[in-house]
Amino acid sequence: MPEVTKVPPVWTTGWTDILNTGTWRSATPGHQNRLSPCQTACPVGAEIAVWVKQAKEGQYQEAWLTLAANNPFPAVTGRVCHHPCEGSCNRGEYDAAVTINALEQFIADLALQEGWSLPAPADKRDMRVAVIGGGPAGLSCAYQLRMAGAEVTVFEAQPELGGVLRYGIPAYRLSKEIVAGEIKRLLAAGIKVQTNVKVDAQKLAELQKEYSAVCIAIGAPKAKLPPPFSGNEPGVLNGLQFLLDVNRAQVPELGQHVLVIGGGSVAMDVARTARRLGKEVQVMSLEDRQSMPAQEEEVLEAFEEGIVLLDGAMVQEKVKENNRFKLTCVKVTLDATAPAGVFKPIVQPGTEFNLVADTVIVAAGQDPELADFSASLPVNNNLLTVDANQNTGQAGIFACGDVASNERFVSMAIGAGKRAARRIEAFCLGRQPGDGAAAETEPVAYKEINTFYFPMTPRKEKEVLNPELRQQDFREVKLAFAASDAQTQAERCFSCGHCIQCDNCFYYCPDMAIIKDAMSEPSYSILDQYCKGCGLCVEECPRGVIVLKEVKR
Amino acid sequence: MINVALQIAEEKIFCSGHHACPGCNEALAFRYIMNTLGKDTIAVVPPSCGAIISGPQPLSSMRIPVYQTTLEASAASAAGIKRALKAQGKDHVQVVAIAGDGGTYDIGFQALSSAAERNEDIIYICMDNEGYMNTGAQKSSSTPYLAYTTSTPGGKPTAKKNVAEIMAAHRIPYMATATTGYLDDLANKVRKAKEIKGMRFIVILVPCLDGWGVADNEGAKVSRLAVQTGFFPLYEVENGTKYTLNHGSEGIPVAAYINRQKRFRHLAPEQVESIQQRVDADWEIFKTKFNS
Ligand SMILES: Cc1cc2nc3c(=O)[nH]c(=O)nc-3n(C[C@H](O)[C@H](O)[C@H](O)COP(=O)(O)OP(=O)(O)OC[C@H]3O[C@@H](n4cnc5c(N)ncnc54)[C@H](O)[C@@H]3O)c2cc1C
Ligand SMILES: Cc1ncc(C[n+]2csc(CCOP(=O)(O)OP(=O)(O)O)c2C)c(N)n1
Ligand code: SF4
Ligand code: SF4
Ligand code: SF4
Ligand SMILES: [Mg+2]
Repeated sequence: MPEVTKVPPVWTTGWTDILNTGTWRSATPGHQNRLSPCQTACPVGAEIAVWVKQAKEGQYQEAWLTLAANNPFPAVTGRVCHHPCEGSCNRGEYDAAVTINALEQFIADLALQEGWSLPAPADKRDMRVAVIGGGPAGLSCAYQLRMAGAEVTVFEAQPELGGVLRYGIPAYRLSKEIVAGEIKRLLAAGIKVQTNVKVDAQKLAELQKEYSAVCIAIGAPKAKLPPPFSGNEPGVLNGLQFLLDVNRAQVPELGQHVLVIGGGSVAMDVARTARRLGKEVQVMSLEDRQSMPAQEEEVLEAFEEGIVLLDGAMVQEKVKENNRFKLTCVKVTLDATAPAGVFKPIVQPGTEFNLVADTVIVAAGQDPELADFSASLPVNNNLLTVDANQNTGQAGIFACGDVASNERFVSMAIGAGKRAARRIEAFCLGRQPGDGAAAETEPVAYKEINTFYFPMTPRKEKEVLNPELRQQDFREVKLAFAASDAQTQAERCFSCGHCIQCDNCFYYCPDMAIIKDAMSEPSYSILDQYCKGCGLCVEECPRGVIVLKEVKR
Repeated sequence: MINVALQIAEEKIFCSGHHACPGCNEALAFRYIMNTLGKDTIAVVPPSCGAIISGPQPLSSMRIPVYQTTLEASAASAAGIKRALKAQGKDHVQVVAIAGDGGTYDIGFQALSSAAERNEDIIYICMDNEGYMNTGAQKSSSTPYLAYTTSTPGGKPTAKKNVAEIMAAHRIPYMATATTGYLDDLANKVRKAKEIKGMRFIVILVPCLDGWGVADNEGAKVSRLAVQTGFFPLYEVENGTKYTLNHGSEGIPVAAYINRQKRFRHLAPEQVESIQQRVDADWEIFKTKFNS
């Protein structure tokens, strides 16, 4: 019998999870909320990835609250914002940008329908602020300050608040009930208002004494009048006044043939408004079609409504005959060497043509009305001069919106109002400016999105009313999304840099080094003991939430 | 192609602290195989990366019995263990052999083919990293056409052996291909295999980061490209006849797959084109199997 040697009954004495394979790593992943490019592009700094995600989950009221935190007018911007967010949307590089603007309108309209109210302002703090001008800039500033606990009074020259939103932009693009609804809700936060008060130099001095800070947001209401229409004569209207009158239902006498001078958005608004009043409308712009500042979309919509464009042309002479203008016009090109903002038309000889018009409406740009302010405040190029924080340099005087910027957009005005408010708050409370400004981080780039997880889905645009119906009255041209469209379009958002707890990182770790705790923030953590720093979780996170950082030993 | 929630019960049968390279896709596959098969499983592992991952003695990364057999004998060992369990009335215990491609396509093939022919009641999983990787990246018969290995420095002159079709031709109850870029599909296939009796074979393409020259974070991405380019279609064959395609070519050029791997970086454009032609030709033949 051979001798039987004893072998141990169990060879394995334990499990590998007592080992420290984490020491192998030269980089460590970390979950963090990151900026999305849409947010960096948004002039009000809206947390788009957050509210779209809330909308995706059907949490519409939460979505609206997120929206409203940076912008008290989402139903307005959801209609008229030039939406640079969509131009920067990462999804644009994949199939097509997310329809952020239409989603914004959907959520914001729902808020008005449902009568959701804004959160209660913070407890009262020692800040008394006067805001001059109740347009989007002034109201945004007043809102942010009120929310921060300030006592705010808005002084407005017109009988009603809203500025261009109420008296400029035509109702077919921005329903006046919407404007009224959002303003009413805003005022309910406890903002004081004095309408029909046009602040002049003397009043400004009084306000400065009475309040701890003053914010000037008086817009740019003075129409530029290029020759030969510089004088005040019958048959010549200024575009802003015309829109104001129509918005107040005081339609002026126009005759049948209207010529609109100007190539920008305001000219389009004037022309399309006149068209809705049943007129034959021609628009003449110095720029040619390609370089006209009006948005391509509104030009096309104007064409559909039967408006005729005479681009690259100007009026040389006007003669009044039988109460009508006989105009001698000529084709021009613009001198490309002229400084920005300066027009130097070069006449093309032999291209003269004649036109007849009952009324000429000039919509060739607008400037602030600074006569009452220029004595005490710095003015440059027809604008109040401010720094990046809307500070005029005069202690306690701030300015925002069109009066201080040539970037004439509603969202820019709202964003500037918010910035001014932050700075005014710091000023009133004696804090150092600049604190609280989060360290700028780069937004999530498209290459950080793992597109494998996102099936291609078509982008849907807002539907547009047919041109015949449009010309009948001032009903809104662009139609809001139905709930089902809002849902499918919200689902297209990558949620760049924002964890949606898809668990992908957890599932893809070969070392089981990620643990999930839904209760903590962030919901995932990395086990130092095991993570080998491979970066697979970083790569497989569909939305760029995880960042790999080098380990310094 | 949304990754449906995997919902794997993380039973920690496969443990952290294992000795796989950072980002190893084979370790990832182990995680899903083990958590799907569950506690009542005995694994048979021959020499391979898998043996290293499940080692190092006296510690184990797997909280189940693991028998490390010889490179030739995985299928035979597994079959023997299963028969012994049956004799003891422990038929509920699954026996799974998890071998590399060298141990499957080449060295252990005789044992595998005969176990399949006998329809042994085992699950055999091939972790296909297309080479003898733990010994320094030598070629196997699974290495693809023109790929560099340390033993084919000029690129492998012959095609990758089609082990999936060979095993299907054994008319075993279940044959499937899977890869780590589609973890839900992988786990589903293991789950399905678990429920079937008789010989079950799954070949899992697991990019070897070091052996293929793939970035540590890109294993899953590269594995997906293998599928999306038609290089490695994901499908199932039941009883040798019933074919189901899960994920196939999306018409992406093979260059997208090849360019992410250093083992192909010596290729001239014509060679890439010749690979494309082979993939296209294979795909044409392959498609006909799904007509019924
Ligand atoms: C016709 C038109 C259409 C436009 N369409 C768009 C569009 O579609 N999308 C877009 O993004 N932007 C559009 N804009 C630009 C946008 O409306 C402006 O950039 C924005 O309204 C500026 O906001 P604000 O608050 O600075 O000025 P305003 O909106 O002009 O508000 C200024 C307010 O101050 C009041 N005020 C003025 N002087 C005094 C004073 N001395 N005392 C008290 N109150 C005073 C005014 O009555 C007014 O209510 C349009 C502009 C016009 C004119
Ligand atoms: C008969 C025999 N020949 C050679 C070896 C040495 N050997 C150990 S593992 C291995 C490579 C196995 O390759 P593969 O099965 O593809 O596994 P991988 O390492 O790639 O995971 C070799 C050649 C051995 N153990 N037995
Ligand atoms: S995909 Fe969503 S989060 Fe990303 S940029 Fe577009 S809208 Fe913003
Ligand atoms: S996948 Fe796991 S091991 Fe790799 S970096 Fe992420 S946590 Fe670390
Ligand atoms: S993979 Fe999913 S769960 Fe993990 S960080 Fe990214 S979004 Fe969040
Ligand atoms: Mg191998």
